[in-house]
Amino acid sequence: MKISKTIARLVVVVIALLGAYETVQSQDLPLSLILIDGENWELVSAEHAFTEGPAVNAAGEVFFTDVPKSEIYKVDLAGKVTLWSDQTNRTAGAIMGPEDVLYGASIGGGAIVKFDAAGKPTPIVSDIVCNDLVVNAAGGIYFTDHKNKKVWHVSPQGKLQQVDQNMTSPNGIILWPDQKQLIVSNTKGSELWTYRIEADGSLSHKQAYSTMRLPVGETESGADGMTVDVVGRLYVCTHEGVQVFDTQGRLSGIIAKPQQQFLSNICFGGKNLDTLYVTTVDKVYRRKLNTQGVRYSK
Amino acid sequence: MNDVCIRQASFLHAHCRVNLTLRKMLEWRIRLGFAVIQTRIHFVSISAVRVVITLFCCLLPLSIVAQSPYKYGSDSQRQEGVPRGVVTKHVWDQSKVYPGTVRDYWIYVPAQYDKSKPACLMIFNDGGGYVRENGHSRVPIVFDNLIHKKEMPVTIGLFINPGVIPASAAGAQARRNRSFEYDSLGDQYARFLIEEMLPAVGKQYNLMNDAEGRAVCGISSGGICAFTTAWERPDVFSKVLSYVGSFTNIRGGHVYPALIRKTERKPIRVFLQEGEGDLDNLFGNWPLSNLQMEAALKYSKYDVKLVMGVEGHSGRHGGTILPDALRWLWKDVAAE
Repeated sequence: MKISKTIARLVVVVIALLGAYETVQSQDLPLSLILIDGENWELVSAEHAFTEGPAVNAAGEVFFTDVPKSEIYKVDLAGKVTLWSDQTNRTAGAIMGPEDVLYGASIGGGAIVKFDAAGKPTPIVSDIVCNDLVVNAAGGIYFTDHKNKKVWHVSPQGKLQQVDQNMTSPNGIILWPDQKQLIVSNTKGSELWTYRIEADGSLSHKQAYSTMRLPVGETESGADGMTVDVVGRLYVCTHEGVQVFDTQGRLSGIIAKPQQQFLSNICFGGKNLDTLYVTTVDKVYRRKLNTQGVRYSK
Repeated sequence: MNDVCIRQASFLHAHCRVNLTLRKMLEWRIRLGFAVIQTRIHFVSISAVRVVITLFCCLLPLSIVAQSPYKYGSDSQRQEGVPRGVVTKHVWDQSKVYPGTVRDYWIYVPAQYDKSKPACLMIFNDGGGYVRENGHSRVPIVFDNLIHKKEMPVTIGLFINPGVIPASAAGAQARRNRSFEYDSLGDQYARFLIEEMLPAVGKQYNLMNDAEGRAVCGISSGGICAFTTAWERPDVFSKVLSYVGSFTNIRGGHVYPALIRKTERKPIRVFLQEGEGDLDNLFGNWPLSNLQMEAALKYSKYDVKLVMGVEGHSGRHGGTILPDALRWLWKDVAAE
């Protein structure tokens, strides 16, 4: 009796576990696995000039920049939005680095800056052109230089090296969850360039691993910021919406934009890292998904 | 669908005498388990993988009572007195068309091969699944038998796996290139074959130099890839054999029926195998897509044959009818 009960329990547990895998692990990853019935875009903040650089701290609070106004706002776990910094020198892309320190791409300052707890920036790399950036767990930085059409690497020791050039229009930049491959989005084309990261930070084996959907009759994807989730899905801001790709580089689907405006950047936020935040011109929206984002620095 | 999944699904179909729903469920569970293990998605805890493996092992005995409606005929079994060809395994890591990729490939050379006479060539995508004598297709056995009976020409088999770009550090994930190579439209895969693999084989063996003597075969994404290869370079490849081909929108392949209808006919012969129980997912509906392909190829007066079965996304049905498919495909090339 007891044994059969135990077996029955075990079967139930196994079936439940398998059910969980189906949502996360199945080879085909349709949008239905991540979209939640009844959940839609929810307005987080409005009346900004041009929002960018969403980034999440260890607590799950989300920061975003207002580029022309040189501001950074913080969205706390209750959803309250407060001005956090007003001296960013037109910082656009931003991301949380090791030790919960916010890094930003200061367009006005021509620099990559680190913000202290009071929101004061200190340049760590200067005399550069930088639009968006990503920081790995070791403190190494990759950033896109949209003007000179290049990608750069800054080692944790601060050494700057050019890692790609002659690109069409490099813009968004992100890492695979294991931080060993880099992806750069091409705003004026349809390609998402994937590179293998070598031990010295240089890049190899560049490949247009994924192709984005373009608006009918257009040649530009409008691809900008990107983020990844625990499964390895890639989320890309484009004219068509948030394009989601699976781990084999195949388009899984497109999440509709919250408003018919340019979609600039994206990150996961919230206590459980299960809420997608997007910046779109004057507004910031969020939407709960059935997946979780990735922090490169634990 | 990866090749282990297909093999497992075939095995299941071969041995399960359970109702279709249960069979599909089992197939899905096993497929799932292998997807987890094979792709080594490292966010899955070891214990979770263990659960899947345990369940797989528990379900295995069930498969003993299983049965597929499709049986292997005598051409797919070893026959006494039939000379055996030789299979050798190689690695290709010098690709310029797919930089950084590493892949296994195998070459089958029939016993009847005579280097003074140019041989035909048949390429198999996901080659590892085709070259095994206990795989879904048992190609070396079938080739031995058909070549011996002169029902197909003396043909060298080239079995190629999709490429992988290995990770740069231990524990990191490799970039799997299968979907990129197989599902993408365009001539990149044909160029890979023409510029890299044909010369690699041609260095050692005397190959026939025209399209009539070259066929490409594949399953699932490998099936659409076989078609794409011939569609892009009909001057080099003239015969296509597709099992449960993914003529769906994985990377745009759903457009082929439309393209075929409005493009001047190319000298390609196409054999399509498909199953009523095949996939219906975010990329498309496999049975409908294959029907569309057949209709478009017929409309444009291609030499096409579709065999529609009842099973799902597996190599079992295609494997059991491989001898017939080969006889049909090679009918224009006189066997010696």
